[in-house]
Amino acid sequence: MNRFSKKDEKDNVATALVDLGKNKTAHIYLSNGEHLTNIYSNEMIPHGNKIALNDINNGDKIYKYGEVIGVCTEDIKKGDLVHVHNVKSLTVDIPKEFKKEIMRQIKIIQEEGEANEL
Amino acid sequence: MNFKGYRRKDGSIGIRNKTLIIAVDECCDGIARNISEKVKDSVVLTNSYTCMLGGNEETFNQMIAVGQNPNVGGVLVIAMGCGSILPEQIAEPIAKIGKPVDILTCQKNGGTRKTIETGILKLKEISEEINKTPREDVSIAELIVGVKCGGSDTSSGMASNPSAGNAIDKLIDAGGIGIGGELFELQGCQENLRRRAVSEEVFNKIDSLIEAEKSRWSVEGTNVETMSIGNSVGGLTTIEEKSLGALYKMGTKPIKDILEINKDFIDKPKESGFYLSETTMLCGGAGVNFASLGAQMVLWTSGAAGFNNPIIPVIRISGNEDLFNDDMDIDARGIMNGLDTVDNVGNNIIRKIVEVANGEKTQLEDLGSSTLTLYQKDQRLEKLLGGCKNR
Repeated sequence: MNRFSKKDEKDNVATALVDLGKNKTAHIYLSNGEHLTNIYSNEMIPHGNKIALNDINNGDKIYKYGEVIGVCTEDIKKGDLVHVHNVKSLTVDIPKEFKKEIMRQIKIIQEEGEANEL
Repeated sequence: MNFKGYRRKDGSIGIRNKTLIIAVDECCDGIARNISEKVKDSVVLTNSYTCMLGGNEETFNQMIAVGQNPNVGGVLVIAMGCGSILPEQIAEPIAKIGKPVDILTCQKNGGTRKTIETGILKLKEISEEINKTPREDVSIAELIVGVKCGGSDTSSGMASNPSAGNAIDKLIDAGGIGIGGELFELQGCQENLRRRAVSEEVFNKIDSLIEAEKSRWSVEGTNVETMSIGNSVGGLTTIEEKSLGALYKMGTKPIKDILEINKDFIDKPKESGFYLSETTMLCGGAGVNFASLGAQMVLWTSGAAGFNNPIIPVIRISGNEDLFNDDMDIDARGIMNGLDTVDNVGNNIIRKIVEVANGEKTQLEDLGSSTLTLYQKDQRLEKLLGGCKNR
């Protein structure tokens, strides 16, 4: 089972409790253990990362734990990875070069994940 | 729920019956450790910031407050004799609340060898006296529990932090007190804290202390990490996300007040409920901060690591499948795969709190303790930053 956790009703992202490959089904669960819905992944979502539960437009707020954790910086499709490349902090954002390095490492994990699928 | 605790003369309840040696200057640290080796259940607290009082008042205040902690039965204060902190200044306020206290100055006592010899005799005497303290049945409403995280990863925000928060809520429902801290890591949580603070006034105090802490750690031109690349590769996107995950461990109860630790005074919680505090995010120093606020125990949430404190027992909670080991007291791994619930792990934590209060040792008690770091704000930096109210 590809378990993802949605922490609050308001949330538009869910956190991966497994490594989920591209074009796979994410099983979205609520904190009380109830199964909410399933979502297809548009890309590999590494363990601990977040998947979009619906389309999120540039400028929209990202909710996790029922609170705003940042704002969307480019349109996100339902099933996309939601991370530093398409979200920024409203408090202290991560410097650009650090974001680049984070996404470089994430890409490696994604590619390795997809290679393992084959 | 009840446990057997040591009632102190000031009415507070200890869950341990330690003797404490306070070395008021770094030069007598070795003497203190030699004395401690010969006396069971003794702990050494050393001021490593030199022997001067000026500029080190926050450390001075903490040495007294740790001596007053209910887990400490009696105290021996030692000094080399050439510094400006007199052992009497530390001993007096501790003796005032009814604890057996003695002092010893190396220079006046004929040197290091003789001081170790005399110190052992004095501390054994104190130890014999406090060992007569009976344990009596008291309610868990007497407990003050600190809550802190460290070695955080994705499992912290999902499993160990919510479980700790659940237990803190239950402890408060039973009449106890919970204390959180780590103000630097509460950046981005202000809206949540505003809702939780009992009044606008309390929120403003919280907000100004968070801003002060932020200014101390964000001096332009210096590198201070708020988020590591590892945090982000692990899935944390923003400081808000990291902070909100960390906030989970502080439960959901109203925040009664924020307890200050500074050069002028150290606040104490007054009634049942949840409090924030100026307890540092740095683990060793946080243990001492919690002890000076009067906490008898700490809940520590982690991915996996073994923070420990020799005066106030630490209950370690982890939900990290890969790194979980026998340093941990509470297993929150089941939450990650849906086999366990936050509520159930919260109940396990409450049970563990009662057992540990009752005298049962934690997984790492008496084994591999962290240093009792006396962490203090640098008064020169406070002055330079200006914004930190005279502190």
